[in-house]
Amino acid sequence: MQNVLNGIPLWWYLVVSSALFCIGLYGVLARKNAIALLMGVELMLNAANINLLAFWRYLAPASSGGLAFAAFVLVIAAAEAAVGLALVISVYRVTRSIDPEKLDQMKL
Amino acid sequence: MNFINDLLKIIGDFIAGIIQSILGFSPFLADLVTMGLAAVILCTFAALSFMGLTYVERKVVARIQDRVGPNQAGPFGLLQPIADGIKMFTKEDTTPATADRWVYNLAPLVIAIFALTTYAVLPFAPGVVGTNLNVGVFYIIAIGSGSIVAIIMAGWGSNNKYALLGAFRTVAQLVGYEVPMLLNVLPVVMLTGSMSLIDIVNRQTTLDGNPGIPFIVFFPLSALIFLISGIAETARSPFDLLEAESEIVAGFHVEYSGMKFALFFLGEYVNALAVAFVFSTLFLGGYAGPILPPYVWLLLKAAAVFFVFMWLRGTLPRIRVDQMHNMNWKFFVPVSILHLVVVMALMKLFVTSPAAAQANGGILVTPIVQAAILFTASALVLIGSLAIAARRARIMRLQEEALVAQRRAENIAAVSA
Amino acid sequence: MTIQQAIFILLALVILGSAIFVVTTRNLFRAALMMMLTFFGVAGLFVLLEIGLFAVAQVLIYIGAISILIIFAVMLTRGMQGMVPRNSQATAAAVVAGIIFFVLLLLFGPLRTTVDVARWPVISLIAGNASPRDVGGIQWTPAGQPIPPVPETYIADFGRALVDLNQYLLPFLLIAFLVDVVLAGAIFVARQRRPAEVIEDRQRQAEEAAEEAEAMRQAGMKPDAAALPEGAVASTADH
Repeated sequence: MQNVLNGIPLWWYLVVSSALFCIGLYGVLARKNAIALLMGVELMLNAANINLLAFWRYLAPASSGGLAFAAFVLVIAAAEAAVGLALVISVYRVTRSIDPEKLDQMKL
Repeated sequence: MNFINDLLKIIGDFIAGIIQSILGFSPFLADLVTMGLAAVILCTFAALSFMGLTYVERKVVARIQDRVGPNQAGPFGLLQPIADGIKMFTKEDTTPATADRWVYNLAPLVIAIFALTTYAVLPFAPGVVGTNLNVGVFYIIAIGSGSIVAIIMAGWGSNNKYALLGAFRTVAQLVGYEVPMLLNVLPVVMLTGSMSLIDIVNRQTTLDGNPGIPFIVFFPLSALIFLISGIAETARSPFDLLEAESEIVAGFHVEYSGMKFALFFLGEYVNALAVAFVFSTLFLGGYAGPILPPYVWLLLKAAAVFFVFMWLRGTLPRIRVDQMHNMNWKFFVPVSILHLVVVMALMKLFVTSPAAAQANGGILVTPIVQAAILFTASALVLIGSLAIAARRARIMRLQEEALVAQRRAENIAAVSA
Repeated sequence: MTIQQAIFILLALVILGSAIFVVTTRNLFRAALMMMLTFFGVAGLFVLLEIGLFAVAQVLIYIGAISILIIFAVMLTRGMQGMVPRNSQATAAAVVAGIIFFVLLLLFGPLRTTVDVARWPVISLIAGNASPRDVGGIQWTPAGQPIPPVPETYIADFGRALVDLNQYLLPFLLIAFLVDVVLAGAIFVARQRRPAEVIEDRQRQAEEAAEEAEAMRQAGMKPDAAALPEGAVASTADH
């Protein structure tokens, strides 16, 4: 009694996406560079997307819900990258550093 | 069955039959082997066409510029590509000492791979297509962005400031011109109701039993902007800012030599040829045409489009960086969006199928009338936007000239005083 | 082992290997390139899931746009190359990530091989008297039954769902609005200010600081030296 498609059970996807999510989480928590931090966030969003689409494919391929959510995640990821990198570049221009630990002043 | 017309398909079926029955593979494995063979053949075709195209391009550009072109190696210089190839092979393969070795050496490979993968979805004749993706058009645009990655890798990996400058220019140019490209594929996709290239060709070939109309007639503006952004996307002259010899030596591939350089060259030509094929498929009716076999028609159309590329290369000077960006963001993108909205509304208003008319309302017209309406609208948008752009350009030029004259007067005054 | 399983395992190894490289390497440019490889692997997973649309969208958006944007930022902040990749809380972060992975493994992993919608607490709560299988008008696949193929027209259906008032029109419009705002915001934030503007700003800051100091003096307090911005008027050279 399993959810299996082409010989691949659903939980394989879920495990891969969990691992990817946790790697991304480690990246966000442990990196010292704001850009690397953003990369971690992108990995986490991608992991979420794998989950959404895998669930959609295995449980409800006739509806469009999973696709819509995955598309929204894609757009959010792009928006996040744009704003995040704009901030990083603007901060770098002023302080010559993008180490989040050093940016502890409200006034630049 | 017309033998000549279906030649490619018959050969394909023959090979697949041999593999499956004589070699005794399972259908899946036989499919895999046939696919692999087809991929090898396609890649060989692309590489060979690269050799041929370099020769033809040099000849054509030479003719345009009142020169002779290559004429020493073989009759009419026909062996020139082979001579070039030998030269490339025998050159020393260098890697700069401070380069990021992995990135530097992988870049030419990446550009060649991305250039060749485009051909996987092109329909060469009825039934002769690598794979009929239902998102074919989308796939082509997505794969096209892969060459940006390769160019950035080359620019960064070389650890050379000119290479890096070239890479910066590339990102700005190629990412920018993807936008009008996508926006101008959309009318075609909307009219067809499918993103599969085969469906798009079929829609242009037959229409309710009538011979179809190529989409260039429906959307002249889309065709024009797609062609121009296609040239920009493949970084050919006049959009070759990323490798402008006179400004940044050779841009991203300044540090490359020998076969690695040849791979960049191959990527460039194969990409340009792919754009020619895609343009023929999307706007010129693909392999459709009377009398001649379909694959010949497709090759002829692609050759004609490629000739336009060569023509532009031989005639136009390289445009400036600011002009390139202004043209894209201030002209192509807004005009494309306006065109898209106009065309969308007209397609909703004038429908050709009775079912759609019943379901959504709208005026039922024949395909010819619909084509005429869309053509008029598209042409009007094109002419109107061109007129506005021309006026604006004239004003800007006058301002610039006035500024120059003022500066000159000041300088003269300063010198005489 | 079927060929799909082999492909899946290969893709999973590529994804996880390159992702680990991304979060541990010191060279940010290579990290960004490896992140592209991760995205490619994920696109491959989408192909295995038979969702070509999203595989291509993944390539177009993540590789063609986001990764390139990130590489661009890496290039623009070249001074930050080669710094220590981990901060002071790296060990704690690894532990936290490990624990979360363990919990997720318990939730999703091999211990729970089936996902049956009918048993989800929220679903049964919403369903009430109705059958849990048609909550939200969606046909859920029961566990253990063969999974139906993706409908031929799934792209068109998806498109219609996005503009259907009863489905996702509102979120779609919100997302569109968000993208607009983000575009404007990103341009505004990253915009290189003209030197004249910068000078103006600094002068205004200096005036404000001087006024503040004056007001403080009048109130009988000692002016605070820190209130004056460093080099308020002088240093505009770095812009």
